[in-house]
Amino acid sequence: MTLHATRRAQAMATVAAAALLLALPAGAQVDLGTEEQRAAGKVVYDKYCGQCHGDTGDGNGYATPRVKPKPRDFTTGTYKFRTTPNGMLPTDDDLRRVIEIGAPYTSMPGWPNLTSAEIQNVIYYIKSFSPDFENPDRYGEPIEIPRPLESTEESIARGRVVYEEQGCAACHGEVGRGDGPSAPTLVNDKGDPIKVADLTQRWTYRGGATKEDIYRTFSTGLNGTPMPSYADSLEIEDRQHLVNYVYSLGDGDEPNYGTLITAVYSEEPIDLQDGETLDALFEAAPTTRFPLVGQITEPGRNFFPSVTSIEAQAVYNRDEIAFRVRWHDLRADTSGRNSPSLEVPMWDEDNGIGDDAGDDGGDSDDFFGDFGGEEAPAEDDFFGDSGGDDFFGDGGDDFFGAADAGPPGAEFSDAVALQFPASLAPEGTPELKPYFLYGDSQNPVDLWFVNLTYGVADTFRGRGSESIEPTEADIVEAVTSYDQGEWTVTYKRRRSSRAGVSFAEQQYTPLAFSVWDGFNRERGNKRALSSWFYVYTEPSVQAATTFPIVRAAVIVLVLELLVVFLVRRRARQKAAGEEAAGTTLATTEAPAV
Amino acid sequence: MLGLNLPVVIVLAAIGGVLAWRRANTLTWLLYTWVALWAFFKYGFAVPIPQSVATIYLGITGLALVCFASSSRERLSETVQPIVRLILEPRYRLALAGLLVALPALAAYNVYADLNVPLEAPGFGREVHPPPPTEMTVHDETVDMATAENPYLHYKHDDPELYGEHLENGRRVYYENCFWCHGDGMGGDGMFAHGLNPVPSNFNDVGTLPILQSSFVHWRIAKGAPGLPGAGTPWDSMMPAWEKFLTTEEMWDVNLFIYDFNGYEPRALGQH
Repeated sequence: MTLHATRRAQAMATVAAAALLLALPAGAQVDLGTEEQRAAGKVVYDKYCGQCHGDTGDGNGYATPRVKPKPRDFTTGTYKFRTTPNGMLPTDDDLRRVIEIGAPYTSMPGWPNLTSAEIQNVIYYIKSFSPDFENPDRYGEPIEIPRPLESTEESIARGRVVYEEQGCAACHGEVGRGDGPSAPTLVNDKGDPIKVADLTQRWTYRGGATKEDIYRTFSTGLNGTPMPSYADSLEIEDRQHLVNYVYSLGDGDEPNYGTLITAVYSEEPIDLQDGETLDALFEAAPTTRFPLVGQITEPGRNFFPSVTSIEAQAVYNRDEIAFRVRWHDLRADTSGRNSPSLEVPMWDEDNGIGDDAGDDGGDSDDFFGDFGGEEAPAEDDFFGDSGGDDFFGDGGDDFFGAADAGPPGAEFSDAVALQFPASLAPEGTPELKPYFLYGDSQNPVDLWFVNLTYGVADTFRGRGSESIEPTEADIVEAVTSYDQGEWTVTYKRRRSSRAGVSFAEQQYTPLAFSVWDGFNRERGNKRALSSWFYVYTEPSVQAATTFPIVRAAVIVLVLELLVVFLVRRRARQKAAGEEAAGTTLATTEAPAV
Repeated sequence: MLGLNLPVVIVLAAIGGVLAWRRANTLTWLLYTWVALWAFFKYGFAVPIPQSVATIYLGITGLALVCFASSSRERLSETVQPIVRLILEPRYRLALAGLLVALPALAAYNVYADLNVPLEAPGFGREVHPPPPTEMTVHDETVDMATAENPYLHYKHDDPELYGEHLENGRRVYYENCFWCHGDGMGGDGMFAHGLNPVPSNFNDVGTLPILQSSFVHWRIAKGAPGLPGAGTPWDSMMPAWEKFLTTEEMWDVNLFIYDFNGYEPRALGQH
C-alpha cells in the first residue's frame, strides 16, 4: 500500500466515523456513568430524593400518599418533560433541568444547593432504576426549538384557530382556565387523577413558562399523561403560532402576590342585582392576587388544594362596602353540601390514597375517638340532604368505589369565605389578631361564607376550628357566577356593625380567605386558605396631588431666579464700580479655577 | 464580597480617577463627593442599608461639604466661581436656561414619586425565638425545659443501629408532615412557604437549630403556633401543635432527624 493510499484510507475512515456520529442522535449514546458515579449519586439520592421518589425509585416514598401529582416512578422510564420525541427517554439535560429548577406548584423543588457533578451522579443513579436506559432504541434525537415568532395579532389569531382545530379546549377550556369538559376525568398512565394546566396562570406551568418550554411541550407531549405530542399533526410554524396564542392567554409572568386590597370610594349606590353598574364600580378598583395554601395545621388537613390563588377587590360608599373575589376552578360543583365546620375523617386527608387509610399509626384511632362520635354539623340537618350518618357510614366506600368508576361525584359543593376579626385590635397592640385558623376563644372571627350550591352568604362566628357557630348579627348579601372556569363572588355589607368589625375610612382591616373545591372533596377544615392580609379603605376625598408638585417646582424656580438675579446685580455693581475706576470687565473672565 | 456591589464601587472610583486626571475644580469635587456617596449608599451594597441611616450620613456629609467650601473667603469664591460664570457669561446662556428648567422638574418629580409610593400592609415586629416556658406538659408528661434532652440522642454513640432506626422514623415523620412548609432540603422554602407569614423556619441556617436546645425544638414541635407567647405572634403562624397528630416518640425522632440532616448538634445544657 502506498503512502497515498494509506492516507486516503485514514481520511475515509475519519469521514465515515464522523458521518456515523452525525447520523446518531446527539443524546443517543447510552451513558450510564461509572460504578463510582452511580454510588456517589445514590448518596445524594438517599438524602434528598428517596423520601418522595422512594428508596428504590418506584415513586413510593414517605410523602407519596400526601402529594399530588405523585412523585415520578423512575422504574417505568416514563418522563413528562423532555426534548425528545413522544415516548422516548429524556436526555441528561432534560433531567438536569427539572432537578435544577423543579416543577412549580408541585412538591418537586429545585435543588440549587447541588453541584453540577452531584446532579450528574444523581442522573446516573436515577437512570439505573429503569432498564430502558440500557436500550438504545428508547433514545430519540432531541427536537430543535426554533426562536419564537414575533407575537403579532395575526400570529395570535392563527394560534387561536389551531387551538380550536386541535381541540385544546376539550381539556384546557375555551379561554384556557383548565376547565374543559374532559378536565375532571383525566388520569395519567397510573390511573392517578391529573390536573390540566390553567393556561392563564403561566407561573403554575409545571414544565416551565417560557415560550421555548411551551413549544417543547406541544412538540414532545408529556409522556404518561393525556397531553399528546403535536409534532406529527402540526407544522412547526403552527406550533409557534399556538405558542403565541397560549402565551397571550396568560395573566402575566408572575403571580405578583400582594398583601393588601385597596377599597376605593364611590358615590354610587352598590346594587348587587345590577350587574353592569356593579362591574363598572369594580372596574375602578385595583385587583390584588393573594396566595392560597392547603390548611395543614388542624385535623382535616388539605395537602393538595386545587386552588392556589384568589383575586380580590373592594369598593365602598357612604353606607356600604362590597368585596369581589375571583378564582379558577375546573368545574362548578353546585349540588353538594359544604360548611366551614363539616367534619373530615382522618382517612380523607390523603383521599384514602395511602393504604393505611384506617390505620394511620396510633393517632388516627385517637382522632376518631375524639371526633367520630360527634353529631354531624347543624347545617346538614338544616338542609336535610345527605346527612352525617350517610357520610360516616359509607362515605369511604363510596369514594373508593367511585375512584374506579370515574371522577368523584359532587358530594361536596364549591364554597368560599372571607374572614375578618370580630373586633379590631385595641390601641397600642395593632399586631394582635385572632388566630388565622377560624379564630380563638379570646379573639373570635367572623366568616362570610358562601356555599355555591345556594349562592347566598351565611355568617359564622369562629372561636377556633371546634367552635364555629352561625350568627345573624349582620346581613351580608352575595351574588355569585361561574363563567369559563372562573368563580366570581361579590359580597356586600353595611360598613358599620354592632356585632362585628366596622369599616371606617383609612382603616387597615385584617382579612383572610378560604376556598373549597368540592371536586377535590374539600369541606370543613379541608380547604385552601390564606394568611391574614389587609383591606385598606382609601380616603373618600383624595388629597390633591397637583398642588404639592407645582409648589415644589415653583419654590425651586424662585430660588434659582433669586440667585441669578443677585449674582447679576452684584456683577453689574462691580462693573459699574470698576468702570468708574477706569478698569475693564476682563477680571471676571479670568479663569480662577 | 464584603457585602459590596463591586461594579458600582469600581465605577464610582473610576469617575473619581477621571476627575483627578482632568484636575476638576472644587465645585465638581464637592458635587462628586456627595453624589458618589449617595450612589454608594443606594446601589453599592448587596443588601440595601436602611434609608434613614443613608439620610443621616448624606445630611452630615452635605453639612461638612458646605463648611469646607465656606471655610475661607478664597475657597468660597473659588468654589462658587463656576456658578457665577454660568450665570454671567453669554456663551452659557443655553446651559443656564436648561438648569433653570431641570432643577424645578427634578423637585416636582421627587414630590410626585413620594406621593405615589404604593400602599403596603402594616408590618409588625415579631420575636423569632421567644423565651419558652419553664415546663410544659406533652401527652400527660411534664417536661422540664431546662433539663430535658432528646432521649434518643445518646444512642448516636451507645447504639448506632438503634439511633439509625430513630432517625429513619424521624425522616418518615418529616416527609409525611413537615416538608410542605420547611422544604425538602429544610431551607424553610417548602411548596406552601410562599403563602405563609411568618415564613417557616430555615433549618439550614446556623441561627436556628445550633443555638437552640433540643427541648426548645421539642416545645416548638409539640405546642406549635398556639403555644407561642404574644411576642411570637401566635395568631399568624401556621405551625401546628404536633402533639395533636404525633406520639411523643415521633416528635423526638423528627427532632433528632432535623439536627442530623443538617449536621448540627443541639445546644448543650447550660451552654450559652
